[in-house]
Amino acid sequence: MRIAILLPLIVSLLASSSARAADRVVAATLDNGLRVLLLEDQRSPIVSFQVWYRVGSRNEQRGSTGIAHFLEHMMFKGTPSHGPKQFARLVEENGGQDNAFTSQDVTSYYVDIAADKLDLVIDLEADRMQNLLLDPKEIASEREVVIEERRTRTEDDPSGFLGEEVSSIAFKAHAYGAPIIGWMDDIKRVTPEEIRAFYKTYYVPNNAVVVAVGAFRAADTLEKIKKRFGRIPRGKVPPPMLAVEPAQNGERRVVVRKQAELPIVYMAWHVPNHRSDDAVALEVLSTILSGGRASRLYRDLVYQRQLALEAGGDNAYFSIDPNLFWFWATPMPGQTPEKLETELSAHMERLKTEPVTDEELARAKNQLEAAFVYQEDSVHQRASLLARFELIGAFALKDSFLAKVRAITAADLTRVARTWFAPERKSVGVLLPKS
Amino acid sequence: MGTRVELRARRRGGACRALGLACGAALASVTACGSADAAPLAHREVLPNGIVLLVAERPAVPIVAVRVLTRAGAVYDPADRAGLANLTGAVLTRGTAKRTGPELDSAIEFVGGSVEAGANRDSITVSMTAQKKDLALGLDLVSEVVLTPTFPEAEVARKVSEIQAAIKRSEEDPGTVAARALSRLVFDGHAYGRPVEGTRESVGRLTRDDVVKFYRERSRPGTTVVAVVGAVTVDEARREIMARFGSWSRPADPLAAVPAATAPAAAREETVTRELTQTTIMFGRQAILQTDPDYFPMAVASYVLGGGSASRLYTRVREESGLAYSVYSWVAPWRYGASFAVSAQTRTAEVPRVVTMIREELARMGREPVAERELTLAKQYLIGSFPLRLDTSGKVADFLVAVEDRGLGLDYADRYKERIGRVTAADVQRVAAKYLTPAAFSLVIVGDTK
Repeated sequence: MRIAILLPLIVSLLASSSARAADRVVAATLDNGLRVLLLEDQRSPIVSFQVWYRVGSRNEQRGSTGIAHFLEHMMFKGTPSHGPKQFARLVEENGGQDNAFTSQDVTSYYVDIAADKLDLVIDLEADRMQNLLLDPKEIASEREVVIEERRTRTEDDPSGFLGEEVSSIAFKAHAYGAPIIGWMDDIKRVTPEEIRAFYKTYYVPNNAVVVAVGAFRAADTLEKIKKRFGRIPRGKVPPPMLAVEPAQNGERRVVVRKQAELPIVYMAWHVPNHRSDDAVALEVLSTILSGGRASRLYRDLVYQRQLALEAGGDNAYFSIDPNLFWFWATPMPGQTPEKLETELSAHMERLKTEPVTDEELARAKNQLEAAFVYQEDSVHQRASLLARFELIGAFALKDSFLAKVRAITAADLTRVARTWFAPERKSVGVLLPKS
Repeated sequence: MGTRVELRARRRGGACRALGLACGAALASVTACGSADAAPLAHREVLPNGIVLLVAERPAVPIVAVRVLTRAGAVYDPADRAGLANLTGAVLTRGTAKRTGPELDSAIEFVGGSVEAGANRDSITVSMTAQKKDLALGLDLVSEVVLTPTFPEAEVARKVSEIQAAIKRSEEDPGTVAARALSRLVFDGHAYGRPVEGTRESVGRLTRDDVVKFYRERSRPGTTVVAVVGAVTVDEARREIMARFGSWSRPADPLAAVPAATAPAAAREETVTRELTQTTIMFGRQAILQTDPDYFPMAVASYVLGGGSASRLYTRVREESGLAYSVYSWVAPWRYGASFAVSAQTRTAEVPRVVTMIREELARMGREPVAERELTLAKQYLIGSFPLRLDTSGKVADFLVAVEDRGLGLDYADRYKERIGRVTAADVQRVAAKYLTPAAFSLVIVGDTK
């Protein structure tokens, strides 16, 4: 039994040692502070070119929430040399796909395109890092688009709506309590001047990471990036975010009623991020709880007892500041949210008192490791993963992450469950369908 | 890893996300393909028992993706058994002659792999992803699922209630509600008009016997396509597939034919009232199959109208008027019929304006030729983005089984590129005049219409 469990680990350890990120990534920091990571991947004649800015809703102030995301929309609205709408147009007519996203911590832009079009993309990204138009007329029309986006994601989406409510009670000092898209009144109010100031503050080369993976020669590409991005002057160091969320001293709870067919239960605990070794244990624990159909929550709540249509959990490993470990469940018709909350809590309590089995632990480790191998299949995913690790310290952490995962023991999991999942650190959200 | 909270600048699709059912993602990718190079996409051979085997070697990353497609989709549901193929797909992995469902889950997840099965309109597909070192185990599980499913009574009952609950919940997603209603209007009288997942009532009537009978009848080597893509050679794939599927024999009785969809007598409008701040607008009509030469101008027309962020609808409705976050059009070709649809979500007060804009832009497509730059952009995007759409083993495998099932041939990618390249402004206008006249579109509105 023991051999059966250990064998796959050893084999996969061998398999992945040949794919160490640190061995082949060409990393450089330009004189203006721009961080550049390049990885050659000659399998297909394509490249994923990504620019990640170290700014998200985390950097916003009360009264102007949603500004990072609003600015992300405006990044497609042109510069003096590439007018409004030209960015996406140029990418598409060169057969490329582009998009962007804003999270609590970062704003990321990507273009996936034929490798021989890389020069064009370098030129476009460097241009909008420095020369965004931010025309007030365009801002006015895009404001309406963002408002519609908020309606889609939050106002009219029960799960998005409840998630926003739970975040907002879980944080009282830190900006993680505000929604990424912003509160409706802030979206309506924020001025072109504020958006411009935000752009000038955070969209500077010394606050960005450029990552490219694909069919190019790294040395040549680095030269091109130096030539084009190197002209952009270094900016002032963006202001540090100083807010620290105080320890939670008692359970918090929000109950909302909305037009919906089934209730939803969310539970969230404050947990440490990647800076703590406990975060890796939490990552393993999250996988044991909700990684696949053999995981605890699925097998017990969805499969065996049919109490939930869905149940899961999610850890915020990559978060820049300590964030939340989420638990959720959608009760089956006829089941109450109270019942599901009790059952989710029981699973958490069980983790504190009873060690996970050898099989569960080995499975979770194998799943985490396999997920890394699967990501290697796409240049886009390879680039994203490098960026995510770089943003929490260094891309090479990708390699030590798996070593840390392998070192986790059942006792570690019991310890972190006891340390971090105290009832008084919990926030609970319940959505009840309006009858 | 805590990355679930991210907001994208633009959204595509979304019409069928809520049920967690296979919605033809693979098939949609077939709509926009043209090969960047002439190398064959895959090795193809017909095994002695009739299985079509497709193998694409991608040696660089030690993973393998496998798809087994069986022509057993919802289009074959008996009229009084809507949701049968979907239920069959859902229970397929829930027990085999050798293993219970939980044993199967544990076996594949222990090595970090996955085995899934699900139905769409045309087929049931079993999908497996594993690291190369676990290929034998993964294929064992796939073959057990395909060849010896036991459909345990208790598992059928479980899935029935799960699917019923998922259908209930999907009623809160306006995109799903609209898409479901639109299919009913567009494919009135054809099996494509019925929801793949069925209704809560129809699913409640399904029994284990229905599932067993349906699968026994539909599952046969002659209508099965297997794709093996990744760190594997053709010889190895053939050997491993033959070892597991080689002795599967063909039944003699022929399968009943499904008629092609024909256009309904008239376009219709339907309104669904929901207490929402935003209204979903969805236009649709039947369109053309990929085997029709007009399919290529149609794909270009769709891209110019609402395909990307340079499209006419995106520019007018979103960029210039700020009326929507999401507005797009798409062609959805299936085996026995195809649809063309336009969708937008806007604040309730602006519904008449957006409806008018969409109608005007549909009409303009047939009234005047598209500008040279629009045409070039659409063609270059459709041709040039091909390699991006096949950038993982899983996507290649999905593409291969879809192309085979539709009878498009492995040269489809090259032919697509060539045909798209030849489309002229006159072609687009001719096809648009035929298919994009606003009066021919059914319309569904979901929102606060009171």
